[in-house]
Amino acid sequence: MSESKRERLFKKLIEAVDLGDEGLAAEGANEALAEGVPPYDAIIHGLAEGMKIVGNKYERKEYFLPDMLLSADAMYAGLNILTPHIPKDESRSKGKIILGVVEGDVHDIGKNIVKVMLTASGYEVIDLGRDVPTPEFIEKAKSEGAQVIAMSTLMTPTLMSMQDVEDGLDKEGMKGKVRTIIGGGSVSEEWRERIGSDAYGKDATEAVSKIKTLIDNIIAAAESMKEEDGSS
Amino acid sequence: MVPSSYDRFMAVLNGKPEDIDRIPCVNTTSVATIGFMEAFDAYWPAAHHDPLKMAKLGSAAHRLCGLDNVSVPFCMTVEAEIFGSVIDFHEGSVRWPSIREFQITESSELVIPEDVSEAGRVPVVVEAIRLLKEEFDGVVPVNAYMAPPFTSISSYVVDSISFLKWLRRSPETVHEFCEATIDTYVEIANLYAEAGADVITLHEMGASTDIISPTHFDEFVKPYLSEINRQVKTPTVLNICGSTMAILESMMDCGASAIAVDERTPIQGARNLVDAKEPGYPIIGNIPAYDVIHTGPVERIGEAVDGAITEGVDIVAPGCDFWLETPTDNIGVFVDAVVKHGKA
Repeated sequence: MSESKRERLFKKLIEAVDLGDEGLAAEGANEALAEGVPPYDAIIHGLAEGMKIVGNKYERKEYFLPDMLLSADAMYAGLNILTPHIPKDESRSKGKIILGVVEGDVHDIGKNIVKVMLTASGYEVIDLGRDVPTPEFIEKAKSEGAQVIAMSTLMTPTLMSMQDVEDGLDKEGMKGKVRTIIGGGSVSEEWRERIGSDAYGKDATEAVSKIKTLIDNIIAAAESMKEEDGSS
Repeated sequence: MVPSSYDRFMAVLNGKPEDIDRIPCVNTTSVATIGFMEAFDAYWPAAHHDPLKMAKLGSAAHRLCGLDNVSVPFCMTVEAEIFGSVIDFHEGSVRWPSIREFQITESSELVIPEDVSEAGRVPVVVEAIRLLKEEFDGVVPVNAYMAPPFTSISSYVVDSISFLKWLRRSPETVHEFCEATIDTYVEIANLYAEAGADVITLHEMGASTDIISPTHFDEFVKPYLSEINRQVKTPTVLNICGSTMAILESMMDCGASAIAVDERTPIQGARNLVDAKEPGYPIIGNIPAYDVIHTGPVERIGEAVDGAITEGVDIVAPGCDFWLETPTDNIGVFVDAVVKHGKA
């Protein structure tokens, strides 16, 4: 297939996500499959690229939450068609993340957007939903062997639940092994410092890039340990 | 004669700030903290259901710290409960009431009460207001706050995600929900007013531009807030926490006696915008409830209060509900700072 045709298809997927048009996203995804475009490329250069644009517009206050939500739907419509066609070795996850809104809060819009963006970037996301009890974050991280716990809350009254998760990890001797990132309307860098979380994402885009860094660091640390073992 | 807390607050809301000795220090949202619950044996969840405990907790910040108002209830789900949402009060612990599961998906499923005065916790709040009025009549202003239609429905009646998508996909559904319930909201506000509330605060925390666009604010929020303000007999405050710079003028159009904002709305800029439209229109705000009042230290609280006054607030208030764990001493320091820096 010609380069320009590929580009046109990516553009269509980008536009579908930007407009929040599920039908157009599904159409673009099916066309990509029919034309033999590798599904992973269609996700990264089409759907994920579209979501990045949407994220930037959200940051610039051109887009608001309703726009983000419809764009997320469009992205899922495309993902659902493309993901099953990704060859096995390519679909191997780059890392595992436990994601949830902390106990006491039912606002999960931001969390869902982070989920879409992480999934599109090739991570395996275990979504615990909203109003998640503290022990569940810790138990799931343990049983799933996840590298990162990502927590959010929109409201201030529930910020303490994040502290509870950090304390719980400490008690279990998991602090430092499982990294944490926090975000959401009432969360701040100051709060991250106070509770000793590993990272703070001020919005979905930043959360995803920081999660990537956390996981890259874990992988790098594991590899350097392997090297040290080899030399001794 | 030294003006009372009532004189101060009402003078500003009635557009006569020249009549007072200093800027008032109020909180028109939740004044509940665990410290206050301990001091008056008025713990949650009992204080959501018992008028006497509600009145005690609602006046604790005035009694112990000198706050210039008393305020009830401490909850955004009073209205949603009436319309059929099932509330989890977290019996046995002090946690904000929340909705366990959203069951309502269309407006025909809403429960519209025949007699609002008997619906849900309205009688409890009404009785608490009556008790507060009896004690504080004309001395300390009694504030009652409520979740107005947009915030109440989008956060506590219908699943937020479905609701926010309707703003673009199915605007008529959003209006259906608001129109089906608007009379009930107006009635609640007027029942509170009749019971003795001096001020009604519309706590529209779900409508900042962190969530919806200014265009959607004008389309889905403004008409219903305007309707409530048109029909309610007391002065009102429109409180929106979150970013509001782009909707300040629309907020003024809603017809409240004052607007209240949090730290995400810078006061200097807001003052300029507001004055360009209506010079002297009261702005209430915007001391961070967590980052300043809760954490302190004393000097930082003083600086924040001084800064807000210098930049042009007419009334000092926290940006939102008091943080539940805030030490009572910090709230005392906060009020004292306004007494010190707020002299006319």
